[in-house]
Amino acid sequence: MEINAFLKNFADILDDTDAALITQETVFRDLDEWNSLTALSLIAMADEEYSVKLTGDDIKSSDSLNDIFEIIKNKG
Amino acid sequence: MITLQDKNILVTGASQGIGREIAISASKLGATVTIVGRNVEKLQETISLLSGSGHKMQVVDLSNAADIDELISQSLPYDGVIFNAGIVEYLPVKFLNESKIDAVFSVNFDSNVVLSQKLIKKKLLNKKASLVFISSISSKLGVGGTAMYAASKAALISFSKVLATELAPQGIRSNSICPGIVKTAMTEQANDAASEEELKKAELEYPLGYGEPSDVAGLVMYLLSDMSKWMTGSDLIIDGGFTLK
Repeated sequence: MEINAFLKNFADILDDTDAALITQETVFRDLDEWNSLTALSLIAMADEEYSVKLTGDDIKSSDSLNDIFEIIKNKG
Repeated sequence: MITLQDKNILVTGASQGIGREIAISASKLGATVTIVGRNVEKLQETISLLSGSGHKMQVVDLSNAADIDELISQSLPYDGVIFNAGIVEYLPVKFLNESKIDAVFSVNFDSNVVLSQKLIKKKLLNKKASLVFISSISSKLGVGGTAMYAASKAALISFSKVLATELAPQGIRSNSICPGIVKTAMTEQANDAASEEELKKAELEYPLGYGEPSDVAGLVMYLLSDMSKWMTGSDLIIDGGFTLK
């Protein structure tokens, strides 16, 4: 599993956010487009792309996209 | 006083949660209950909680046609059937595909339709029987991520109404119930996607708080009893006042 592919997958679940804003350090919660549905999309994407079941608490305990990436990596 | 004395009742999805509570309540009111579900240990636990004797359990995966046939072959005519088996999956529409649609619809809708069809065809519903479909408040809302769950539960309501018309000549009634959020293992699992904090905030939207399985079971007991003999084709909301908001 590779970080750049993950960042691209994350950028793909968004519709109105410039992909350039999506980096390892991005605090996803601060994105204008972040809401409960994008959270569900992140969970669905992790399942579809990495066969990993993310939980709400996984997301809650994360700040940056790199944190999410690490969780997926550890669960994968 | 509500009684289900001498009534033979079938409850699907009786391994846990609302289905289990319905089976327990019905047995307390004098019914003989057949409980079905997928998990043998949980079914045994449910049956150990029933009052009275003569109850039966059968391990049935309702998405498996052979299992339904087996249930039908073991059945004596019922006075009441609770179509309660269901699953919940939260997924944005963007992530749906045919197998995800099937996964939800086959359990929440298809299996209930097939079971009711066979019960009717094999004459396993007594005159004046009562059918109760457990739908969901989701069917009236538009909560993001619930598309397949909400649509499958809405489909059940329409199905129940048509059934009510077709079965009325035999005095058989069919009604549906739309519970709001009830605290069960299934909702807990489904809410895994939400954080503790979000859930507490969501509960504030319920003037009477989240429901208990027994809150839904109480309404089901009324629908199963002869006290509701004039009610058919109805769709009842029970949600602690959530839709008042």
